[in-house]
Amino acid sequence: MSTFDASTLIYIIQIVIGGLLVGIGVHFVPVGGAPAAMAQATGVGTGTVQLATGSGLTGLISAGLMMSVTDNILLIVLSGAVGAMIMMDVTMIVGNWVYIYGVGVPPVAAKVDYDPITKDPQPPYIGPGTVGHGVPTVSYVSGTIGGLMGGAGGSLIYYALMNINGVSGLSAFFAIGIFVVNAVIASYNIQGTIEGFHDPKFKRIPRAVQACFIATLIIGIFAVLIHGGA
Amino acid sequence: MSVAAGGGESKIDKTKLTMYGLGGGILGIYLAHVLNMITGTGYFSFLAGLGAIAAIVMGADAVRRVCAYGIGTGVPSIGMMAMGMGLVAAWFGLAVAGIAGPIIGIAIAMGFGYFVGMLANKIIKMNIPVMEEVLMSLGGAGAVVIIALSVVVSGQIGYEDMLNDVVLTGFIAVVFIAGALAILQPFNANLGPDETQDRTLVHAVSTGGLAMFAAGIGSLITVGVGGAVLTMLIAAAIWLKAFLWYFKLVKRDSAGVVGTGLLAEGGL
Repeated sequence: MSTFDASTLIYIIQIVIGGLLVGIGVHFVPVGGAPAAMAQATGVGTGTVQLATGSGLTGLISAGLMMSVTDNILLIVLSGAVGAMIMMDVTMIVGNWVYIYGVGVPPVAAKVDYDPITKDPQPPYIGPGTVGHGVPTVSYVSGTIGGLMGGAGGSLIYYALMNINGVSGLSAFFAIGIFVVNAVIASYNIQGTIEGFHDPKFKRIPRAVQACFIATLIIGIFAVLIHGGA
Repeated sequence: MSVAAGGGESKIDKTKLTMYGLGGGILGIYLAHVLNMITGTGYFSFLAGLGAIAAIVMGADAVRRVCAYGIGTGVPSIGMMAMGMGLVAAWFGLAVAGIAGPIIGIAIAMGFGYFVGMLANKIIKMNIPVMEEVLMSLGGAGAVVIIALSVVVSGQIGYEDMLNDVVLTGFIAVVFIAGALAILQPFNANLGPDETQDRTLVHAVSTGGLAMFAAGIGSLITVGVGGAVLTMLIAAAIWLKAFLWYFKLVKRDSAGVVGTGLLAEGGL
């Protein structure tokens, strides 16, 4: 068993911060769930966990790549964040192509009358019987922020664990384990769908912060005690 | 809360399923370890795979119980969470507790599950009465599946060897995702107002067979060709039997299965 000292405490704090970033980041990602898959709700048409895991894994890969050449925590976390942002952006833009050119609907947000970023009016473009469709500008920007936070959080967890056990496979999968627990708790908080930071559900963040904090702390304490062999 | 995703009544009691799942899982893991050690071969790894299937059935039943409440995030989320909790707890147990590792890991995973369920109800305010109990079962099932499939790959429980055989080879990815899919897929595929417990659970046996098969492929280079082929053959037989049984239940539960032929020209 690893010894429990001051540096272990710092790793636990890093893991908790990482978990919180993941939990908060999920609130930024425009997930529409099954309705969005039928272009009847704003967001990408899949579940939070799939989106968060997809971007989180990409973040881990880019963080791991950076970690193979440097120990600088800032560079590693930034690299993870950029990887996750790219993955999230690619997912959203390809989703938008499908919605715009395939389904034939304009990207539109249903929770606000004017897009907070472009100031374009939204209600005229909402298809009858739907609650928005596609990924409008505000959701796109929000999703990019979500990717940033998720990727940064995931790579922070990875960095902390990697310093403890030194086995990349173990660290990566523990990071994914802690990542999905936080992503799922956060997605329960938004009940599976959200348009982005302009959505009224976004105000529920404090609850997710509390829950993710406690959950990550407990799991993190166990995770830092796992050693990487002799 | 209303019953959103359907889910029929349970013919098999959850306590019984939990008992068989945990008991069968732990038994399979230890039998595989001990018999492999005594005989000095890898032929008994398949027993851990059978243990994994028992736990997968238990996990699939827990998924159907909680998802009947309509958790709003899709069925896969809860299966992934089960594996996330189970993974950390399972490897913690293996790392610190030696031969008692699996039992410690499973107990901790169930603790995680209860705790996260409590957070979901108390802080997130999901108000799903079965949440704590279901996440406890799911955490336990996740840990059993992770350990059991890892034992299939490595052939025994020793932490160092498992690290070399499962983690450093990258098979942990297969174990993680195949196990998660095996637990979440049965209810995800069968949900709806006409969902029946036996159909979902038989489907769980078939997905468990596939997960075991995947782990068997992994064990080709770790426990050797003999043991791996035996695991894969048994897994394939289980899958075939369960899938045919499942297909029979699908036909039983559907309103009618009729061949309509292709649509006529201009039929669309």
